[in-house]
Amino acid sequence: MRIVCPFCGERELGEFTYLGDAKPQRPAAGADAVYDYVYLRDNVAGVMSEHWYHGGGCRAWLKVTRNTLTHEISAVEPAAGAGAAKVGA
Amino acid sequence: MADFSWDVRSPLDRALVVGPYGAQGDAGLALTEIRDFDLVQVMARRGKAGAMTKATKAHFGVAAPETPKAVAAADATLIWSGPDQFLVLSKGGRHALEMLAPVFAGSASLSDQSHARALISVSGDKARATLAKLSSIDLHPGVFGVGAAAATSMDHTSVTLWRGRDRSGLAVFNLLVFATFAESLWHTILDSAAEYGVTISHSEEFA
Ligand SMILES: [Zn+2]
Repeated sequence: MRIVCPFCGERELGEFTYLGDAKPQRPAAGADAVYDYVYLRDNVAGVMSEHWYHGGGCRAWLKVTRNTLTHEISAVEPAAGAGAAKVGA
Repeated sequence: MADFSWDVRSPLDRALVVGPYGAQGDAGLALTEIRDFDLVQVMARRGKAGAMTKATKAHFGVAAPETPKAVAAADATLIWSGPDQFLVLSKGGRHALEMLAPVFAGSASLSDQSHARALISVSGDKARATLAKLSSIDLHPGVFGVGAAAATSMDHTSVTLWRGRDRSGLAVFNLLVFATFAESLWHTILDSAAEYGVTISHSEEFA
């Protein structure tokens, strides 16, 4: 499997580290919501959005859209906050 | 208070043995450690990438690299190291941390890496063949020309790789590696190049 880093180009899997599901958003409050956020994950068979870290390269966090059945990657974009230019003023 | 006596020496001080290595005859590889350089990491502060770019242009007279490449200024090389960040490689203290601090005040965070990395220059007939054993980057001249750079890994070790100016018509590849990993990578390069024959040296001059 290879990932096309939006900053570096196409790289081998060994340069990346997998974090997990990119969908969960930190809830503002509520014990049940926080429990869900921390512990519960969908076991997606198909297209899912994931966080990957390009630690062996540019050290940016990426959001990768990957089909867990075929490993086909349909999109890669910088995760929120990757690169100072992308954030606020 | 105790007095400390700091003995500045290369992380390759022990591993580097000047002279020929491996196969005899015409060496296919020249492996040179470059010593005594200034290296500063420049990272834009949040939302200040534009200001950092302007400060770079004003100080160095060249644009900061915004894609993986190494940009030559009059007396420094600016090497891309990630989004909105680059390394400044120079000699003689002209672009050392304390000189750059006022230049990037308010726009970028600086970190002195001068003694945190080793700089290795790889050249010769077999430079590309040697590095191909360690790297998955396509180093064909049609893809990786003079000034091309990559933040990548070799032998599970993070490196900054870029192609310098050709010497005697042959490509020159430069590698910056974390000081504590330098010896390991050095031995791996020697193992990979032994079949071609290596000329080992160190220099105070940039390749
Ligand atoms: Zn990258």
